[in-house]
Amino acid sequence: MDLLADLTPLFFTLVFVGVLIGILFGAIPGMTATMAVAVCLPLTYSLNLREGLALLLGLYVGGISGGLVPAILLNIPGTPSSITTTFDGYPMTVNGDGEKALKIGIISSLFGGLFSAAILFFFAPALADIAIKFSYVEKFLIIFLALTVIASLSSNVLVGIFSGVLGVWISLIGTYDVSVGGNGDTRLMFDFMVPYLEEGFSLLPVLIGLFGLATILQEAEKGVKDEPLCADVSLSNRAKFSMRDFKGQIINLFRSSSIGTFVGMLPGVGGSAASVLSYTQAKNFSKDPSKLGTGAPEGVIASEASNNGLTGGALIPLLSLGIPGDSTTAVLIGAFTLQGIQVGPLFIGENMETWHTMMVALVVANLVMFFVMFFAIKYIAKVITVPKYILYPIIVMMCVVGAYAINYGIMFDVWTLLLFGVFGYLSGKIGIEVAPLIIGFILGNSAEVYFVKSLESFGTLTIFFTKSPIAMFLWVLIAVSITYSIYTTVKSIRTKRANAGH
Amino acid sequence: MKSWLASLFHVTIDFQESHMFFPTIVMWVLLFLLALIFIIYGRPYLCALRTGERTLSFSTSHIDKLRLIGTLVLTIAYFLSMDYVGDFFPNTGLGFLFMSIPFMFCLSLLYVHNLNRRKFLTLSLNALIAPGLAWYVLAKLFHITLP
Amino acid sequence: MKRLLLCLGLIVSVSVVTPVADGVAAEKLITGNMRVVIGSKSTGGDTYQNSAIVAQALAEELGIDVKVDAVGATAAFKTMERSGQDGNTIMIFHDQAYLAYLYGIKGSADIFKELKIGPTIAINPGNAYLVPKKSPYQTIDAIIDACGKGTKVRVAIQPGGVSEIGYTAMKNAVKLKYPGSEENLVAINTGSQADKNQLLFDGQADVINGSVQANEQYTRLPEDDQKAMRFVWLTARKGTIEQANPEGMGQTTRDDLMKFVEPNAVVPYDASSNFVFDKEFIFLYNKNMSPELVAYLDNALTKIYAKGEIQKIQKKSFFIPDFLPSTESGPYLMKKMERIEKIISGMK
Repeated sequence: MDLLADLTPLFFTLVFVGVLIGILFGAIPGMTATMAVAVCLPLTYSLNLREGLALLLGLYVGGISGGLVPAILLNIPGTPSSITTTFDGYPMTVNGDGEKALKIGIISSLFGGLFSAAILFFFAPALADIAIKFSYVEKFLIIFLALTVIASLSSNVLVGIFSGVLGVWISLIGTYDVSVGGNGDTRLMFDFMVPYLEEGFSLLPVLIGLFGLATILQEAEKGVKDEPLCADVSLSNRAKFSMRDFKGQIINLFRSSSIGTFVGMLPGVGGSAASVLSYTQAKNFSKDPSKLGTGAPEGVIASEASNNGLTGGALIPLLSLGIPGDSTTAVLIGAFTLQGIQVGPLFIGENMETWHTMMVALVVANLVMFFVMFFAIKYIAKVITVPKYILYPIIVMMCVVGAYAINYGIMFDVWTLLLFGVFGYLSGKIGIEVAPLIIGFILGNSAEVYFVKSLESFGTLTIFFTKSPIAMFLWVLIAVSITYSIYTTVKSIRTKRANAGH
Repeated sequence: MKSWLASLFHVTIDFQESHMFFPTIVMWVLLFLLALIFIIYGRPYLCALRTGERTLSFSTSHIDKLRLIGTLVLTIAYFLSMDYVGDFFPNTGLGFLFMSIPFMFCLSLLYVHNLNRRKFLTLSLNALIAPGLAWYVLAKLFHITLP
Repeated sequence: MKRLLLCLGLIVSVSVVTPVADGVAAEKLITGNMRVVIGSKSTGGDTYQNSAIVAQALAEELGIDVKVDAVGATAAFKTMERSGQDGNTIMIFHDQAYLAYLYGIKGSADIFKELKIGPTIAINPGNAYLVPKKSPYQTIDAIIDACGKGTKVRVAIQPGGVSEIGYTAMKNAVKLKYPGSEENLVAINTGSQADKNQLLFDGQADVINGSVQANEQYTRLPEDDQKAMRFVWLTARKGTIEQANPEGMGQTTRDDLMKFVEPNAVVPYDASSNFVFDKEFIFLYNKNMSPELVAYLDNALTKIYAKGEIQKIQKKSFFIPDFLPSTESGPYLMKKMERIEKIISGMK
């Protein structure tokens, strides 16, 4: 058994260290799983491939999971894919259920991670063949489906949709990059802005600007009261967490993990789309959709199960097509090339042992993540008891580091952080809704590429309806999603009127 | 009939101009939504203004101007100086380290209420240790590029 | 072979003057940390891999920390304009650096004017064109002939660079052989390798640009697999592929690869010569970096290549070592650029 020979104490130590560093990176606002993998990539030169992969997979799982901590406790998504975790996680913290939210998030993460690992192990090559059935047209429809969430996320539908489209518009500022097949021209700016804006705004600085810096500005406006974020430190004197919180959520868990895995395996659709999509579906299928967004555990479950479901999903095209499924696996591919190993459709068959070691690493990483986080929660949650005059300067500093480092040292990204911090602060005043805006921003670029490229290839709008049965099925989902949000809006307006009538 | 329909949906995109194709659509949608918002919410609001039910002047008295503007000024100064100082020590991240310490110290001082010796000590130590630790771990251990 | 001899000659001549060079090296002109910005945003791509190999060797040779930052072309050019006079920041990129300019991509710089050309370090010989395994086109010749006979052939490329240059050459070849028919070769502009592959799977492209590294496994799939592909042309010089390790890439040996370069797969450039293109990696410096620093880095690299260790690492990763010091790389690249410019402007 060569596999056993690989599972040395060093192997497990590396997974453990990887998960630990990953959680740290994920938990610090502004640092992401991708960054964790990228900075540790050079460390793998001195290791052999399987040890290197143990470390990197640990980082990947840890990094994706760590994002839930600041999302729940501080309302700042630690990584882009934990944005939907803030929608319900932070309200839970405000209600005094921070610890419970964390535990629910961690268990959902574990479930999503293991679920996707199982899918990866048993179905990778078969699923890769399904993934290549998704061309530009189908990918555009998936993005469009994810965009329909905007309507159901906003408190005022019209303003919400406007904010979402504004987000799309902002994402288009910059160059229509040749690396996605564009013509390299800049747009949506005046000539004098070109030197600053030609690369456009990066997701991470925009995200931590809108969520992190904007919050601090809002607090500054209120005078930064002395009490910590949550006056009630003893998180445990409220309803304690128990596995009963997952009652009735089994379908949600499976659905969200599947969505995460599925979106992960479509190259180019992007990790953040996974949690957005699964959050929409959770809302659409919920017994009481009005609760989502106000601190409902099912929102946290949907978001976290799907973003960890992403890990296994994104590895599917990487290992069975040689194509990364998300930005983190794109860095991971470097570990293979640096070791002179080709990934492609024959990788699994030709590298059985490496493949098995990777699976072991992935499962172990998920378990380590669970134990580390579950038992560290008590201490992690104390973050919110730190006085604001200490906490806020640290957050600003870490946001700066994250913004500067995300594209390997670009000062403009730091200014983006400030710009969107101020923008987020002001938009709160004029009623622009931040959640739809950021979703529009995240999905805008892919929406453009897939839309324009579909039309360039086929030259007719009808192709979006007639391309394939998959496309038609996606239209059914889109129709359901839109009808549903219209239905709930009308209902809520009616109940409001009825209440006002009383 | 069929060909007429087909030509209705037919689209050709000139590659040289393709960078404006999608943004133009988005811009029109944006304008349409803006107009809709104006019709639904803006007009009643303007009417209310004209009749004097509402006034444009909104109070800024609840705003803690010192802390809000202070935050902005400090942040801008921080970003500018970090880049500037960093140029003297290329690729070492020292610009970040040297400017983060005073920035954090000032921001903490700006935010703190009822300053006493203990609080002063905590925030000073924090301003020293946090950037130092961040710099050491990220720039030195992980070789992350910092300003 | 000629270039190899040239390299060897250079190494010998440099080692004769080493005593002087050692004196310079002892001065340690570059202290502190060195940052290498690269023209690609990917840490999984060939530019990063290549830069990482050279960076590690440089770090050992110069006794400093060298770090590679994948900032992408636009940001890298901006960085080089601003800093790097002191040699603490350098850039590594490949032919894309001037190709983007030739293709008129906005935001690209004329590197011969705005930067200083440093040494070349390696070649990625893998730039390739592929067709589906079931494709009627058996050879690159067949594709050119098909265009000449009026068949529309769609080629999926990433516009404005190394990916497009082979397409331009093919178009030029069609024009040479069948004047007026070059319009039948159509570019499908797309992005990543994943997108190019996808267009082939969808039947939206007849030929795609790819690479030996990324597509080799696809060429070994059974013919009935939708994903199966076949090489038709490698743009590299024959002499370049000849230098690769005999094992080649994956299960495709060097001898297998030789079938796809001239004289077995030919794309004519003009009446007397063929089009060949090696994707070469180059150092780029700030315009105002001092000649002493240029010589200092040249020296360091000369020593690294003289040891012979780096060549082994490069070859293991399917790169062909190709060191030319700054004095020679500038004129060499200029000539290469001018030859390419001719066909690009001929197609406008």
